[in-house]
Parts: sequence; structure tokens; C-alpha cells
Amino acid sequence: MSRTRRSFLQAASFSLVGLSLKAERNVDGGFVNDSFKQGHLLRDRSSFPPPRQTVRVPIVIVGGGIAGLSAAWRLEKSGFRDFVLLEMADSAGGNSRWGQNEITAYPWAAHYVPVPGQKSVLARELLEDLGVLKNGESEERYLCFAPQERLFLYGRWQEGIEPAVGLTQKDRDQFKRFEAQIEHFRGTGNFTVPMETGFSQKTADLDRISFAEWLRQQGMDSRPLNWYMNYCCRDDYGATADTTSAWAGIQYFASREPEEKGPLTWPEGNGWIVRRLLERLGRFVRTGQMVHRISHNGNQVRVLAGEIEYKADFVIFAAPTMLAPFVVEGVTPLHDFQYSPWLTANLTLDRLPATYGGDPTWDSVFMDSPTLGYVDATHQSVRTHIDRTVWTFYWALVKGTPAENRQLLLNSDWNYWKEAILHDLERVHSDIRQCVSRIDVMRHGHAMARPTVGSIYSDERRRLIKGNGRILFANSDLSGFSIFEEAQFRGVAAAEKALAVLGGHIHAGSR
Amino acid sequence: MGILLFITVLLISACGLIYELVMGTLASYLLGDSVLQFSTIIGCYLFAMGIGSALSRYINRGLAYRFVWIELILGLVGGFSSALLFLAFAYTQGFQLLMYTIVIVIGMLVGLEIPLLMRIIRGRYHFRDVVANVLTFDYLGALGASLLFPILMVPHLGLVRSALLFGVLNAGVALWSTFLFANQLPRTGILRIVCLLVLAGLGTGLAEAKKITMAAEDNIYADEIIFARDTPYQHIVLTRFKDDIRLFLNSHLQFSSRDEYRYHESLIHPGLASIPAPRRVLVLGGGDGLAIREILKYPQIESITLVDLDPEMTRLFSTNPMLTALNQRSFLAPRVHVVNADAFLWVDSSTESFDFIVIDLPDPTSYSLGKLYTTAFYTAAARHLSAQGLMVVQSTSPMFARDSFWCIAATIRQAGLKTYPYHVYVPSFGEWGFVLAGNHDYQPPASFPQGLRFVDLKGLHALFEFPPDMEPLAEPPNRLNSQVLVHMYDEDWKDISH
Repeated sequence: MSRTRRSFLQAASFSLVGLSLKAERNVDGGFVNDSFKQGHLLRDRSSFPPPRQTVRVPIVIVGGGIAGLSAAWRLEKSGFRDFVLLEMADSAGGNSRWGQNEITAYPWAAHYVPVPGQKSVLARELLEDLGVLKNGESEERYLCFAPQERLFLYGRWQEGIEPAVGLTQKDRDQFKRFEAQIEHFRGTGNFTVPMETGFSQKTADLDRISFAEWLRQQGMDSRPLNWYMNYCCRDDYGATADTTSAWAGIQYFASREPEEKGPLTWPEGNGWIVRRLLERLGRFVRTGQMVHRISHNGNQVRVLAGEIEYKADFVIFAAPTMLAPFVVEGVTPLHDFQYSPWLTANLTLDRLPATYGGDPTWDSVFMDSPTLGYVDATHQSVRTHIDRTVWTFYWALVKGTPAENRQLLLNSDWNYWKEAILHDLERVHSDIRQCVSRIDVMRHGHAMARPTVGSIYSDERRRLIKGNGRILFANSDLSGFSIFEEAQFRGVAAAEKALAVLGGHIHAGSR
Repeated sequence: MGILLFITVLLISACGLIYELVMGTLASYLLGDSVLQFSTIIGCYLFAMGIGSALSRYINRGLAYRFVWIELILGLVGGFSSALLFLAFAYTQGFQLLMYTIVIVIGMLVGLEIPLLMRIIRGRYHFRDVVANVLTFDYLGALGASLLFPILMVPHLGLVRSALLFGVLNAGVALWSTFLFANQLPRTGILRIVCLLVLAGLGTGLAEAKKITMAAEDNIYADEIIFARDTPYQHIVLTRFKDDIRLFLNSHLQFSSRDEYRYHESLIHPGLASIPAPRRVLVLGGGDGLAIREILKYPQIESITLVDLDPEMTRLFSTNPMLTALNQRSFLAPRVHVVNADAFLWVDSSTESFDFIVIDLPDPTSYSLGKLYTTAFYTAAARHLSAQGLMVVQSTSPMFARDSFWCIAATIRQAGLKTYPYHVYVPSFGEWGFVLAGNHDYQPPASFPQGLRFVDLKGLHALFEFPPDMEPLAEPPNRLNSQVLVHMYDEDWKDISH
């Protein structure tokens, strides 16, 4: 009898808790763009149906991210139009994919490009083509509007992400010393964008220790400085300073001009560049085409994708190189290609939180948060009155090993991530739950290349950059880290290698 | 019993007087000329009381029952009178009709009260005592009300809540009377429920009154607030002192009716009169219709397009009689087309061309508004200029915000236009500046429309001369990615305000 009464009371109190939870705003959403299944089919070497159709085409590009699209851009621009681009997903874009709702377009991953320096010739050429640069000057509307970045620390917002408030004399000295070191590395000309231009054996030692170890050797133990270095590694590489090669840590700072204006950004992030490229190149792109086998066949390359067999003179493999051992004949398992797991989420806000604090800013970061903060997709709108918006929330999962985090990504449900994201935002925006109506979450198990210690100068990497006969590798991960300019450079370089052999006669013959 | 009865008299008398004072004050706020307003309202009110007293003779049965109902109706009408009239002022053209109707209804009901009450209680006392006591408490109530009203009610509660509070008292008296005169009343249960319902209605009004009342804001503005409204885009406030009407958007003064002609004549005529045959004009901002009032002085103009973000602004200035008197009903002219849209988006999406473009937007106080003062915006706006077209930009004060003014001029120049900055003295603003701009050289006009009060040929040249304290400064252009102007503007005004 008393047992029943207790369970009744329990049920009653649970339902009361339930009711009070319900009184809170309902948040919709779910996982989007999951690509685990397709990737795991390749990994598990599943059997695929035999081809029913053979297509003869001089060049096949595998992968429709920035690398693949850049290869296509170079081919098309030089008048070579006999090629196809095969993309596994339903839409091209890779790490520059974007989404759109009734409020705005928004990014799913990469969301800006630094204004390319004078030495980034290819990036400048592309941006001139797309009207982003005009006579060398950036179009005003594509430069990130002010105010750009802010950091929440010690209970307040500061402008910029590099900690500037609450610094001790020691912190300031170390930031100054760090800047002087970077200035020195910049002066060597070995740290460039793209990295291949300045790459030299002279800096190989830096790839043998971690960035955290290098900072220790320099006597840089300032807490704000180390937080910032870790933040930069998490943001660009999805790794902490102690798992990042010192060479990559220095590259992050030394490859850019200190007074660089920018960055360039759009509501849908780098999806804007993909859209513009697809306007020109869409006719070459075949989506939903999973390539499961690539093999040499005499002077030709055989590409199997679904029920089609392509016979090509060259294959540009622009998909993540980690897939090559499972797809490309003769490629042995890779050791120096590691990838960071990421989570991005797009939050629909029906209003800005009352706790927003200050002027609407492009990128907001919380100090000492495990996440990377959020970017406001409507910030690049010229509208003066913006009430609803979309925030893109970035989270590189760095606590623990990548494998553990991939398990976490696979095994936790949407509700887990929704709560984790809201919890993080509640540190600063206590009323965030009243403002958010939808949270879509995208899980990237292998989001970007991880420049671990020794990976930049790895022989394996240098070998794949040379290519495998008529199979040319082109993903940004060949550089050791995934950024826009590296992807573009690798894609164009592969296209030019193929053109050097085929360009003349195939082009003439196809007229 | 006796003392309770006479306290009832005191309360109803106070209520009656408060309603009268509320009306008088409200009419003075909204319409000005307090002597006229108070005189006519008191006159009407007393006259209506007389009618009420006269009518009391026709009530012969159920005196107590009818008394309770009169109290309830008075509570409702009097209680909501102020709120109703504020809304009527904002949304209809029949403010005065409604006000005098309410005054007369309240007067008549108050006129009925005392005679009825005296007849209800006459059996209980000598007639001599009834008259003496009722009138004594009646006048005592009036004294209390007339002291409470200016000292406590208006400063602390505002007009809307004062009226509602006394409505509650009136309805309270009704409820109380159902106990006081229980032996003379049929169906007291139902009557009490009605009383409670009325009380609940008035109580809700009192709780929600903050949305209508302006009491809290009164101390920000020097003058009486006659209209205040939060729209999704801004906070609109109109104030009035004697014949001076002022418009504030987000607490920034937009115009004073006493000297706005100086501003608007200077904004429009130096540019527009210089264009040989202007046909099409675009106004960005200017939701008060005062700029288009000036543009309508050119009969050859065929079409004026006004783009203002806030539909509430253009609606207010096309319907409110006091404001349409100010802009001479400019929104109702068939040549005028109003578009409620974001200026930047509209300029980006439209392909129309115009001979004269007026950019009369709020000062760059925030990054959002700062977007409307960038090279990107002026470039987009200049695409709409016809071959002979000119553009004029309200550019804040070259005196108080000298850096900002010359930054705006530099920004327009950076957008590829030739610029001709000028300035004018507007007493309520101080020195104010404008930048005329176009693809060609500016030729000063040979004549101006008839009837201008400020701009003339003789004084025109002087507007383009800047004395040493406002002389040009070298400033960087304002761009979307830098927004230097917002910081500059902030610094400029910080120097002269506290």
C-alpha cells in the first residue's frame, strides 16, 4: 500500500517537473547532413553493384568541395571542358556547405576567407573573377562589417578575441615577445599562403615539437596568452596547442599580414563562393555519386561510381585523402593523415537575448568555454533593423582523442547536443532559451586535417602530393591543415598537372 | 451608519471632480490653450450636472438600485475616459467630439447622484440635516480631490492611472452601497457580482495602464508628452509646450514645430530649386512628411517616393489632425507614394531614377544606423540619380560634431560624387549641416518657390561658407567594415553633453 502511494507521489512529482519543463520554450531541430553512412560503407569495403554503363571522359574530379571546384574552375577557365565532377553528397560544397531558412542563409562550416595577400596569386585571381576584388581592392559589402569580434571574459565583453583586458605586465610582455617572434618567422618567408610557396627544410625542426612545447621553450607561460594560442589552434585546426605541430601554430600567425583588413565573409559563409562557382561550373557537377573504386588500367584510370564506370586519362582525387586507401588501388593505409571531429549548429533566434550586450557583432567568443562561440549570419546584411537571426555555433571537440570524440558524436542524441549548446550559451546569455526556436546540428566526424607533430614534413604526405601516376591528389589535407587557400591551391595544382599532359591535343580534338 | 453614508458622499464628489480635472488637463496637454480647454470643460460639465439634476425628478422607483448602477457606469466611463481619449487622439480624428461626449455623460451622471442619494436617505434624518451634511461632505470631497490631483495623482500616477484609480473608487462605492442600502435593493447577489466584474475590469486596466501611460517618461522630456509609442523599429514621442510640438525618435529630437521650417527649407530648396525641370523625387527617411511639404511647392514635380522604415510614423503623420496641420497634409497629395521599407534594401532593389534624392535619416548613433552613412550606401543611392540629378544628405552638426560632418562629406566624395556642404542655424538644434552632391557641378538656383520663410537668394551664398570653427577637417571615409563614423559621432557629442 505504502509502495503504491510512494510511486504515485513519484509519478506526480515527475509530472510536475515535466509540466514546468514544458512551460519553457519548445526547441525544434535535429541532425542534418549526416554522411557517416556513406563514409562507413567505403571504410567497411561493402560490396557495390557492377557497372551497367561506361562513360569515356578525359578527366574525372572526385569530390565537390573547394579543392574539386577549384580544379574545375582552372580546367574550365583554360578552355578545357571535357570533365565531370563527382560529389558523394546531395549538394556540392564540402566544408563550405551552407543552409537557408526564412530569415537568412547561413554556413555549415567554413565561414570566411582572409583578404589574400599579394603573394596569394591564385586566391586573388579567383576573387577577382567572382567580383570580390575589383582592381585589387575588396568590395566593401564582402568585407566583414564592423564590429567584427568580441570576447567575453571577467563578466564583460571586450572588442577583439585576443585578450586585452585584465592583463598583467608579464602577460603584456609575453604577448609582445610572441609578436616579435612571429615577425621574425614572417621575415623568413617560409610561412606563406599557400604553404607550398615558402615551404623549406629550414623550418623542419618546428614540426618535431608541439606548439605548446615551443611556447614553453620560449618561456611563455602567461595564462591569457596560452588560452589565446589554444583558441587559435582549436579554431583553425580543431586541436589543442599540445596536439598541434609548432610549425602549424606558427604558420597560423606568421603566414598573415599583421595589418590585414578583412576578413571577407558572407551570410552563408564560404558557401557564397561555392554558389558563385556552381553558377559557372554546375553543368560539370554530378551529385549523389559515390566513387567506390579507382584503379589504373594501362594508360587509363577506371572510376566506379554507383552503376557507372568512367574511363579517364586523369583522376583528380579532391575528396579527403583518408578515403584513398579504401577507394584507390595501390594506396596503403595512411598514418599521418589525422582529422578533427567537429560539431556545428545553426540556432534560429526569434529575438536577440536581452543579455546580448553591446552592438550586434559578427563573431562572439567566451573565454574558457570548450566551444568556439557563435557567428551571426545576419551580420553581413545591410538592413538597419534586424530582429530575427541565425547563429552558427562552432565546437571543435578537443577534450580526449579524436576517436573518443567521434564515438561521442555518433552515440549522443540530438537532445544531448541541444542541451550542451544551450548550456554553454547560458554562461553569458541567461535568457537564451526564451529566444531560440530551432537548433539544427551537423556532426562532422572528420571535419578537417589535424596538423599533429611530425605531420607537416611527413614523407607520406610529400609522396601523395607528387601523385600516383595518373591519379592526382588535391585535397587541402595534403598541406596538413584545412583552409580555403590550401584547398584551392591543391585543386588548381592538380588541374594544371593534368592539363600539362592533356591540354593541347584533347582540347583541340574536342572542338 | 451616518458617518459611512457621508463618507460615500465625500468619495463620489471626489471622483466627479477628478474626472473633470483629468479631462481639462488632458485637453490642455493635447490641444494646448489651457484656459480655453478648462473653461469649456468646466462649463459643459456643470451644465451637464444641471441636466442630470433636472432628470432626477423622473426617477421615482428603485432609487437605491438605480444609484448603484449610476456609480458603476460612472466608474467605467470615468475610469477609462483618459485611456480612451489618448487612444482617440492617436488613432482617430474625432478626439474633441469624444471628449465632450464623455464630459457630458459624466456630468449628467454626477448631477444625478446627489439628488438621488438625498432622496434615498431623507426618511432617516431631518431634511435640514440631510442638506447640510450632504453638501458639507460634497465640498470636502472636492477640496480633497483638487489638492490630491496636482500634488500626488499627476506626478506619480499620470492621467490614465489617476482616472482608473478613481473609477475603482466609484465602483467600490457601488459595491459598498449594496450593503448600505441592502434593505431597499432587490437581487443584491447579482448586483454584487456585476460590481465585482466592473472592479475587475478597472483593476486590469490599472495594471495594464503602463502601456498607455507616459507618467514614467515625463521627467525625461522638458515638455508635456502628448503621444508615446513603441513600434518594432523605434520609440516615438511627441511633446507639446504651448504651440511648440516636438518629435523625438529614440529620445533624439527630430524637429520643433517652431523652427522646423528653417531645417526643411534648407534641406530641400538649395538643391531642388537648382535643377532645371525636376520631375521625380526620392526621399529616404522623412516620415514626418515635412520634407515632402517643401517638395510639393514645385508644381512641375510629377512624383515623390518616400521610403520610411516605420509604417507607424507615416500613418501618424498622415492621420493625426495636429500633425497633418504641420505637414499641410503632404502625405495625402496624389503625387506622393509612401513605401515602408528599409532604405538600404530599397535602394539596392529598385531600378528607378530620380532628379533629386533627399537622404534625411536619423544620426549615426549605432552601427545599424551607421550603415546608412557608408560609401556602399551612397554608391547604391547615387545609382538612382538621373543625368541632371542631385542628392542632399542630412549630415549632423558641423559645429557640435565637426569630425562627423566632414567624415560624411568625405564618404560621399569617396562614393564618386562632387560635394557641396552647407549649414544653417536651427534654434532648437543649433548649427546644422547638409551635403549636396551630384555627378556634375552645382549651379545655384536663379529663383525659389513663393512663400519661403527662411531660404532666399540673398542669403544662399552664406550657407555654403564655413567660419573657422566649422572649417573642413580631413577625415577618412566611413565604410561598412570600419564604421569610423559611429565612434567619431559618439566622441563628438560626448564632448558637449554630460
